[in-house]
Amino acid sequence: MSLDLLAYGAFFLTMALTYAIMCLGLNIQWGQTGLFNVGIAAFVAIGAYVSAVLTTPETPDRLGGFDLPIAVGWLGAVLVAGLAAWLVGALTIRLRSDYLAIATFGVAVSVQLCVLNIQPLTGGAFGIGFIPRPFGGLAASPLAFSLANLALTAVVVLGLYLALEHLAKSPWGRVLRAIREDEIAAQALGKRPIRFRLQAFAIGGAIMGLAGAVQGHFIGFIAPDNYLPILTFQVWAMLIVGGSGNNRGAILGAILVWGLWALTAAAVSAFVPPEQQARASSFQIVAIGVGLCLILLLRPRGIIGEGRSPIAGRIKPKSEE
Amino acid sequence: MTGLVTTTPALETRALVAGYEPDLPIVRGVDLSVAPGELLVVLGPNGAGKSTFVKAIAGVAPIHGGSVTLAGRDITDVPAHRKITQGLAFVPQTENIFATLSIHENLQLAAAVLPKPVRPDRIRALYDRFPDLAIAPSRLAGALSGGQRQMLAVARALIVDPPLIILDEPSAGLSPKIVSEVFEMLQRINATGVTVILVEQNVKAALKIASRAVILVEGQIRHEGAATALLDDPILAKLYLGTGHARNHSREAELP
Amino acid sequence: MTPQFVMDGLIAGAMIGLGAIGVTLTYSILRFANFAHGELLSWGAYLAMAISGTIGMVSTTLLKPIAPFSFGWSLPIATVLAILLTGLLALAVDALLFGRLRRRGSAVIILVMASFGASLALRSLLEFIFTSKPAYFTKALQIAIKLGGGLRATPDQLLSLGMTLIAVIAVHLLMTRTSIGRSMRAVSENPALAGIAGVDVRKMIRVVWFLGAALACIAGIMTGLLVQIRPYLGHDLLLPLFAAAILGGIGSVPGAMLAGLIVGLSEALAVQLVGAEWRAAVSFVILVIVLLVRPRGLFGRAA
Repeated sequence: MSLDLLAYGAFFLTMALTYAIMCLGLNIQWGQTGLFNVGIAAFVAIGAYVSAVLTTPETPDRLGGFDLPIAVGWLGAVLVAGLAAWLVGALTIRLRSDYLAIATFGVAVSVQLCVLNIQPLTGGAFGIGFIPRPFGGLAASPLAFSLANLALTAVVVLGLYLALEHLAKSPWGRVLRAIREDEIAAQALGKRPIRFRLQAFAIGGAIMGLAGAVQGHFIGFIAPDNYLPILTFQVWAMLIVGGSGNNRGAILGAILVWGLWALTAAAVSAFVPPEQQARASSFQIVAIGVGLCLILLLRPRGIIGEGRSPIAGRIKPKSEE
Repeated sequence: MTGLVTTTPALETRALVAGYEPDLPIVRGVDLSVAPGELLVVLGPNGAGKSTFVKAIAGVAPIHGGSVTLAGRDITDVPAHRKITQGLAFVPQTENIFATLSIHENLQLAAAVLPKPVRPDRIRALYDRFPDLAIAPSRLAGALSGGQRQMLAVARALIVDPPLIILDEPSAGLSPKIVSEVFEMLQRINATGVTVILVEQNVKAALKIASRAVILVEGQIRHEGAATALLDDPILAKLYLGTGHARNHSREAELP
Repeated sequence: MTPQFVMDGLIAGAMIGLGAIGVTLTYSILRFANFAHGELLSWGAYLAMAISGTIGMVSTTLLKPIAPFSFGWSLPIATVLAILLTGLLALAVDALLFGRLRRRGSAVIILVMASFGASLALRSLLEFIFTSKPAYFTKALQIAIKLGGGLRATPDQLLSLGMTLIAVIAVHLLMTRTSIGRSMRAVSENPALAGIAGVDVRKMIRVVWFLGAALACIAGIMTGLLVQIRPYLGHDLLLPLFAAAILGGIGSVPGAMLAGLIVGLSEALAVQLVGAEWRAAVSFVILVIVLLVRPRGLFGRAA
């Protein structure tokens, strides 16, 4: 019993950590650069599908299944998702800040359509199964399997965390911060804000792609339903609870919000009569939406984190004389 | 000025503190009294807070302390859009007309604060006063030249026949010939009894038409006196060459 | 390929155009992309359905279809009330959320994000109240009329086209010929100067919320009448609405309508040529093309 619980705990934490990766990706886009991405689900989906196609064994009714090592799948996920983010960014970053939001929203809709409709590549509504799982050899012992996966995901998160912290302190990170604080001054110093923003957006997208790949390989199958707009909302809630701009907050927020989500979902399925369950889960989403607005109104710097965020409202002085 | 002390000032500020961030005021305690019929010019080096000062009076820059009274009425907390009906007209420095509206629409918009029956007459009166605007009233205001834009901005402000008009650097970006035209126009307006307050960088030209001048430095009044006397005063050169204040000016000038 | 796709495209385009006018007006004055605008369409449709149903319970004669249409007098009455209520809903959301953020001087992107949260809450609230099962104003079936040239349309569809035309002309006249329209255009160009010129900017913001919500409500009711009512009705139209508003040029009423028709016709054409499953991607393609070629849209002014 307690071993089962431990295995479940490891499973839960591993899932939470895959969300933490997405959250870290969002943090570099929003928390550190102030770019609003409404299409997180799209970049996660791209990563998941690319890695799945690269690593699954050859399948007769589907294009590919290239049977490559998992590491190659992850790498492919990072590259393709990063490229997609770079393209979206290149299209919109020089325009109004909310055009990027609208464009990423469009990407989310379009990627969802693609995975549903390009059946020969993505398996359509049924998705892709038999994705190789890391430490698949340990599957006979659920506990060892879960712990090994938890350890691997934790290593990925830790590595990313360290890399991102390093990046934030590097000259590149300092320029990014300077641009956020005072774009005109940064421009005067000869830094091209658009290029730095674009790089940050692409890196964030690549990290989201990695998250999708890690999650897909951990669960073993993927389907379009995993990448609905609700995923985007969840990741946003995680980052806002954790406090944007703060990598540790992003990780903590992911674990906390995923915990709350799983807990309330479990409570709904345990205590709410089946015919009312759909209703109860929509109420769960109303709560997230209202919560998001309340945090924006009351705790613009997040609940846990104390990271500096672009959220804090400040009237920009208009040109004085 | 002693004879005017007993009359109610057209405008008065007391210990006015204003700026975009409460902990970093740009205007730091200004006491100013303007008598009816004066043509007052507000001078000062870059970043002295001249513009913020008049914007605060007009209600477009936040006030953090002190008071503004207009002909004896406290208007400190009156929102910007109600100041025009109280008799205070303001012409901002840039973007002071609606470029996407026609000339006529600019005037119609401004006339909307008046009772309906008098609007057409007021607009017609302004066309008589500014014949340039009457040539093609349906033209988009954005197509006007710099001087014509300034005319339209002033015409817009005059629509309610205000006792007081405040202009923020009306000469900015205009050629010397147009500047003198604009200043002549201001003198004519002043001659009809309207009190005029003018923020200017164009010191010499402004002092020639003004009756009185105040000099703002670092958000406070440093000097005030009759305009003609100030023209030859060495204090002007000292302030504008920035001796002793150069560091501060450059810092404030860098503000976005 | 049958010419019928033109009629389908016009009808879809009319609904998109009507919704996009609301987007373009609120966008030009509030200065942020409101992701909750789609939910105003859905709420409008559901409010009308609930009111119409309540009216039907009181008097069944009001449910009897007005020939040749599929609905009784209960729907027009409900539409008027729903417009008012949707307008009030938008004002309430502004008072509770956007207005507070605006007064604090929050960045555009914070408002966008708040609208995202509001959209989530409003949509799921509909799902909570009405469930996600599709609903209909009436169960009556309609026969399409032959219009010649191979085109067919039901009386409901023709009525919707006519209503859209009337609404667009009314809004256009409001914007170009009235004092309120002038004030709205002034606020959209330069809110600070509008205030100095005596325009009550906060009042204009309330006016534009109400107007945008009213148009959203009408578009939502038409979609509900011609297709079906679902909590995702507005959300699924959001991308076409944004695409049309940007293609038309932010702030331009005729632009939004024309662009709405372009989006609708392109969708119908894509359904014919590529397949119905790709319909939702058309707006994205249009959006990308506009952003690449002419980000200010057909009738927008340069940024």
